[in-house]
Formats: sequence, C-alpha cells, structure tokens
Amino acid sequence: MKKRKHPAGHLLMVLMLVFFYLPILYMVIFSFNDGKSLTSFTGFSLRWYRHMLDSGDMMEALYTTFGVAIAATFISTVAGTIAAIGLSRSKKLVRDLMEQVNNLPIMNPEIVTAIGFMLLFITFKVEKGYVTMLLAHIAFCIPYVMLSVMPKIRSLDPNLADAAMDLGATPWQALTKVIVPQITPGIVSGALIAFTMSVDDFIISYFVTGGGVKNLSIMVYTMSKRVNPSINAISTLVVVIITVVLVIVNLAPLLAAKREEKEEIGKRRLLIPTVSVLCVLALVAGVIYHRQENSRRPFEGQTLHVYNWGEYTGENILGDFEELTGAKVVVENFDSNEQMYIKVANGEAYDILVPSDYMIQRLISEDFLQKLDHSKLDCMNKLTESVKGLPYDSKNEYSVPYFWGSVGIVYDKTKVDEKELEKEGYNIFLDEKYKGDIYLYDSERDSFMMALKALGYSMNTEDEREIEEAFNWLVQCVQTMEPEIVTDEIIDNMAQGRKALGLIYSGDATYVMAENENMGFYLPKTGTNLWSDAMVIPKNAKNPELAHAFINYASDYDGAYDNSSYVGYTSANQEVMDTLSGEGGDFEGINAYIPRSGNDMDEVFVYNEDVKKIISNLWSRVKIAASNAD
Amino acid sequence: MKRFSQLAVPYVVWAVIMLVLPMVLIALYSITEPGNSIVSFSMTIDHYVRFFTDPDFLIILWRSLWIAVKTTIICLLLGYPVAYFISRSSERMQNVLVLAITIPMWINMLVRTYAWIGLLSEGGFIQKILGVFGLGNTELLYTEGAVLLGMVYNFLPFMILQIHTALCKMDMSLLEASADLGANPVQTFARVTLPLSLPGVVNGITLVFLPAVSSFFIPKLLGGGQYFLIGNLIENQFITVGEWNFGSAISMIMAAVMMLLMMVVRRLEIKNQGGKEE
Repeated sequence: MKKRKHPAGHLLMVLMLVFFYLPILYMVIFSFNDGKSLTSFTGFSLRWYRHMLDSGDMMEALYTTFGVAIAATFISTVAGTIAAIGLSRSKKLVRDLMEQVNNLPIMNPEIVTAIGFMLLFITFKVEKGYVTMLLAHIAFCIPYVMLSVMPKIRSLDPNLADAAMDLGATPWQALTKVIVPQITPGIVSGALIAFTMSVDDFIISYFVTGGGVKNLSIMVYTMSKRVNPSINAISTLVVVIITVVLVIVNLAPLLAAKREEKEEIGKRRLLIPTVSVLCVLALVAGVIYHRQENSRRPFEGQTLHVYNWGEYTGENILGDFEELTGAKVVVENFDSNEQMYIKVANGEAYDILVPSDYMIQRLISEDFLQKLDHSKLDCMNKLTESVKGLPYDSKNEYSVPYFWGSVGIVYDKTKVDEKELEKEGYNIFLDEKYKGDIYLYDSERDSFMMALKALGYSMNTEDEREIEEAFNWLVQCVQTMEPEIVTDEIIDNMAQGRKALGLIYSGDATYVMAENENMGFYLPKTGTNLWSDAMVIPKNAKNPELAHAFINYASDYDGAYDNSSYVGYTSANQEVMDTLSGEGGDFEGINAYIPRSGNDMDEVFVYNEDVKKIISNLWSRVKIAASNAD
Repeated sequence: MKRFSQLAVPYVVWAVIMLVLPMVLIALYSITEPGNSIVSFSMTIDHYVRFFTDPDFLIILWRSLWIAVKTTIICLLLGYPVAYFISRSSERMQNVLVLAITIPMWINMLVRTYAWIGLLSEGGFIQKILGVFGLGNTELLYTEGAVLLGMVYNFLPFMILQIHTALCKMDMSLLEASADLGANPVQTFARVTLPLSLPGVVNGITLVFLPAVSSFFIPKLLGGGQYFLIGNLIENQFITVGEWNFGSAISMIMAAVMMLLMMVVRRLEIKNQGGKEE
C-alpha cells in the first residue's frame, strides 16, 4: 500500500482532536479559577483543589469509580473469557440462546437495563450500595468481553486443544498454554471495553446504588446543578491519573523494545499486570489511609448517613464534625423532596434527612420518622422563633429547622423597574416585554405557588378549578414567554446577569445579590411560600445517637455559620442570622437574606396527597408543553 | 472437545438471574397495578393505553427517536472519514490516534458534558468566538442544538472506533487487487472498502443510536428543564413521580421500539453481505 499524504485528512484529524479535547482543556483551566463562575476566569487559585481534598466525599467517589471499574473489569474479563470458551463448545441451541441473552444489555437502552437491575435488587431486598453497583457493572461488562473474545475463539482451530491434550497436556494446560494465548488480543480489548464502560457509567450506577455510595458520575449529576468548580478539580485529577497510567503502559514497552526488540511482548505481558497490581495497591492504600482515624473520640469509627439537598452544607462543617466526633459522615444528595421520599419509602436507611415542611408532614403522617429525644438536644433555644412550632410539626417533636426562606423574583435592576414588579407581581412572567428573558424554577410546588398567587388564590387550595386555572396560567407562560425551566443553574446565570427575571429561592437570591450588585429580589404582595427545611431522623436510622449529635452541631453557631455563609440560605440560628445580616456581615443589606414577616398572604405549604398527585402530573404536562412548544 | 462446555454453566445461571430476570420484572411491573403484593395481584394494560392515547407522550417518543437519528447521521458523517484516515496512517500513528480518541471516554461522560455548559453558556468561550463573526448573541445553551452537540460529542468515539476496527480487519491486498483490475480510488472505495467496513458501521450505529435515544442527562444538562426526552420521562417516573408501573411500561415500549429498529438495521447489513450471516 502506498502511503499518500492527505492534507484534508490531517485537518480533519486536528479539528476532531480539538473538538474532543477542548472541553477537557476548558475544565482543566477553570479548575484553577479563583471565582465560582464557569465562564469568566477571575484569577488563579488552588482553592477548589483544597476544597476537593477536604471533601472526603469527592475523594471517595474517585476511589469508588476506579475501585468498581478495576474489580468489574478483572472479574468480567475472567468470567467472560471462561464463559466464551465454554459456550464455544456448547450445543448450538444453548450458544444461540445465550447470544440473545447477552444482547440484552447491549441492545437495550441503558436506562431499561438500569431499571431492570434496580427492580431486581429491590425485589430480592439486596441493600443498595457498593456491592449492587459492582454486581451490575460485572453483569453489563461480561457480554462486552464475550463479544470481543468470541470471534477470536471462533477463528481458532477446534482441534487445537485436543492436539495439546493428545500431546500430554492436562485440560488446564491446554486452556492456559494453548487457547488463552491465542485469544489474548480479544481478551485485552474486551477488558479495555469493560473498563471504559465501567469507568464512564452513569445511568446504571445511578439506579442501583444507595447508602451514600456514589461514583464520580453520580456525584457530578447531583452536584452539577449548582456550580461547584471542585468538579473541575477532581476531573483534572482524573485526567492526570489516566494520562500517567497510559504513558507508563504505552511508553515503557516502547523504551524496552528499543533495547531488546524481541522481548517486547514478554515485557508488555509483564507490564500490564504490574501496572494493574500497582493501581490496586495504591487504591487500597488510599482507602485504608483515608479511613484511618486516631485517638479516642465519642463516636470513633461510627458512620453517619446524611441525605441532604445538593450543595447545602458549608465548606468545613462536615470535616469539623468528623474531627470532633471521630465519626465518618457519608452524604448523599437529592434535588427534590419527591426524589428523597421515594428512596426513604423504599427502605433506604439514613440517619439524617433534610426535607422541606410539607414533606416532613407527609413523612410524619406516613410514620417514617422517629421522635427526637429532646434531652439530647441543646440547640432549640438558639433557633429563631420564626421557624419553631410551624404547622407541619407544631411542637418540633420530629424536626429541627436547618434553613428557611421564601420564594420570590430575582431581577436585573438595569432591565426591570421595581415599580413594574409592584404593579404586576408574578404576572410579570406573562409580560411579553420579557419574552425569552425569564427563568422558571423546575419545582412543581413553587411553580404552582407562583401561578396560584398570581391569580390571587391560596397556594394550598384544594379547589380543582383553581388548580386548573393555575395550570393554564403556567401553560400560557411556557407557550408565549419562551422561559428556560432550570433548577440551580439559575444561580450562576443570574449572578452573571444573563436574564432579566427569574423565580428563585430567597437563599439563592442572597448568593446572587452578593455576587452581582445589579440584582434585586422582590416578593410580590400577593404572597409567597414561607418554607423551611429541617433535620429529621427516620425510623430506620442506624445511628440515632450520632444523628442527635449532628443536629446539635449543625444548629450551633459554628456549624450554622459555616453553612449559612457558604450556601447563602437563611440560618435557623438566630445569632448566625444576626451576624450575617448585621453590620460587616457577609449579607449586610441584602433583603433576600431575611425572610418577610407580617404579610397575611404568605403561607406555609400543607401536604395533601390528592392535590400533590394532581399538581405533580400537571407540572409534568407543563414541562412537556414547554418542550413541545419549541 | 466437549469437556470445556461445562465452563459455560455458571455463566448461564448468572445470566438468567442478572440479565433475564430484570427484564421479566420490568415486564411484570408494566402490566400490574401499583401497590401489588404477592398475595393480591391485579393485571392491567392501562399503562400502555395511557402512553399511546396521549399525544404529548408520543411527541416525546418521536422527538427522542428523531434526535437520536440526527446524532447517528452526524456521527457517521464525521466518524467515517476520521476512522478512514486513521486506518490509513502508519501503525504507530494509528495507535496514538486511537488512544487519543479513547482517552476522553475514560474521563467521565458527565464531567465532559458539564464542561460544555461553561463553553456554551452566555458569555462563554464559544459565544465569544462567534462574536468575532458578529454572531455573539446566538443562544447556544439550552437549545436542541446543544443537546445534539452533547450527544455527538459523547458518542462519536464509539462510531470512530467501530469503523476503524472494521477497516483494520480488511485485507489490504483486496484494495491492490481492485486497483490492479482497473478500478479508480472512488470505485475501490465504493465497491470494496465501504461494503467491507459495513459491519463496523452497523456496530457504530448501534453504539451511537442506543445511548442517544435513552440518554437523559445530556438533555437535562444541556437542554435545560424544558427539554424532555423519553429517557427523562422514564427517569422522572422512577425518581421523582414514583409511578414505577407506568415507568416500566414506558421502558418496555422503548425497548420494543429499539429491538425493532435494530432488527431492521441488522437485516440491511445481512442483505448487503449477500444474505450471509457473520
């Protein structure tokens, strides 16, 4: 074959590599960004690396990802090769049937496979966690290994093994000395595919893990709504690890080959296991080091499982708590009360949950929560009166408030006049002047709150006609206003001043206003949702004792200050609230930080199962309408 | 050599439990009422009726298939030339290039998609570049284009690698033979190279189309909350709405649609190979 130069080909190749590596490069650069933004580089800093190293959670996600990938690759390669050799000698019927079965995870959409695994583990009451994740990964990796080993076996002379044994080899020798070496390329590429699949997997892992076990994908998915540049830092770390491993694996044989060309294969054969063994050792060492704690502290070696909103804790609180108690805190994040509810209702065990008001009411009424032992709590008198004794738990028998606030309109003062907001209230979201310039928040309850309040109704209405009207209001909004329906992306986007208006939680508005002084926060007179999120302990908690200690710590000045100053949500701790909003405080002069009091139209959400179902369905329909309106 | 056949037995057992049973469970959920226990068990086809009688759901299904088709076509158009170019490079270069395309796949898919958010968002890098050409106000993030881009970005390597594998397996002497027999390069490509690389193309299509249809985080991250695909619908049913039976029914429908489409693609391949399988 003559080799011709293809300039067009070279250009294409270069463009392709730019396309593949541009986002990666971007990520690496922004991991050193001083600010939180993903678009403007404000200065060089290593703060996100520090944040990453401090966050035991992120490092553990890294270990989980590679731990599972290495284990799944090893097991599925061995098992898949053995099965493939076995099947090649089986009856045709069995072979064809198994080929079909193996095609299930390959030919099925991943989400279907994922749901299948989830239902399987739930049906057999296997506790979701590391083991379920590993099992699922092995299960979907083996077919890929077999797929790449099978053709190699087929191309083997079927008499090869017999010949070996006629010459005196035992079956084991025939297998390992004759067959396996012949199909090694297939095995290696199978292992590579398995590893790639496993490391990169999100959908299946997302549905089959629990108990705070998460890989990188799950972590990114649950965090990514709110900008957290430590994702970039940890990704950069992954890039570095992979590059180093690949360079070693690929360069070492080349170097060796230069010296002794003939031994190349032997070296390579030695090198790959060596490298993988080293990887495993490093991993194990890392995990052990990571878990190693010293001295005697009250909860030494115990574990606290917290199920909280994404990015809802300060930078230091968890580390400080671990330091103080010797316990290990495992955090899992949710992005809606409903998501949390489903996990809890399916029996997953957590020690602390941080649901919102109406959800607490639901959890109490469905008997999922245990009463708090107030003799172990010394924090109640530090909390502000406004969040104690609310209707969802009037004596605080079950819950201790964490954050609280309202829902209002964040607006760009340079584009929107406050007078207009005063005149139109929530109806400004139907004002075509701002078409294409608004954000809605992807929350069924708060979207309906906005629509109902715009129409002058109670947000707790049970009147189906009023709900229907609110639904039409929302549909009109999504069909005529081209809104973007977002969740926490609104924070960074409004901080960058990208749209004129948005529906926002007061705590997020606080953050936005602290970042961008052109932003304002307005609460329409027709009322808002006065919400609070509180810490509760579920009935099936494994360590209620430690949970009580955590509630105390998070409610006390240090913990609460760290939380509130970092997240921007209003603390339930009176002193923290005063400090942060007072003179010289982080949020001085920001009206969003102190929730409104004294407006009769403001309400607290009440849980009603029927209404919730209707609204939940209608909100899906609104989103579908928005999606189909494009 | 029959004695090795016993080696397959453990895997058969494993496969029945881990691969077949989950599908049976989904099927079971999809035809039962919520809240079943082993004692009381009521069958229903309501979930299927609900899906097929609602135009909104059908639009979503249609859109999911359509965007997956577009993704696949773009990946094929971009991926084939790239794979072809790689397969024509020196062996050492091939290794380097294949590695270069594989590395991004080892860096988490979500992380890479997340990076696109920064690149595409308002005031981001891409918009600044477009600004040079006077297109600075083009909205990029939270559009269908962004979702499409995200999908192509994530799934293109599968296409390239599959086609490359097929091209490498090709016997190079066939090309020489073709040229010796008087075919020009275009003819050689159309009559020899392309048909021989078809298995790779089919594998590539499968590997791109399948995840593209069912992806739910790419639309969620790059399309915004108002961009709904069938994957999002299923995720929603399981994670936030909690209607597992309806979610299972949608999963079954999706699986069935995919099986049908894939059968069509495989048939095409077999036809092209003159009816010969494998």
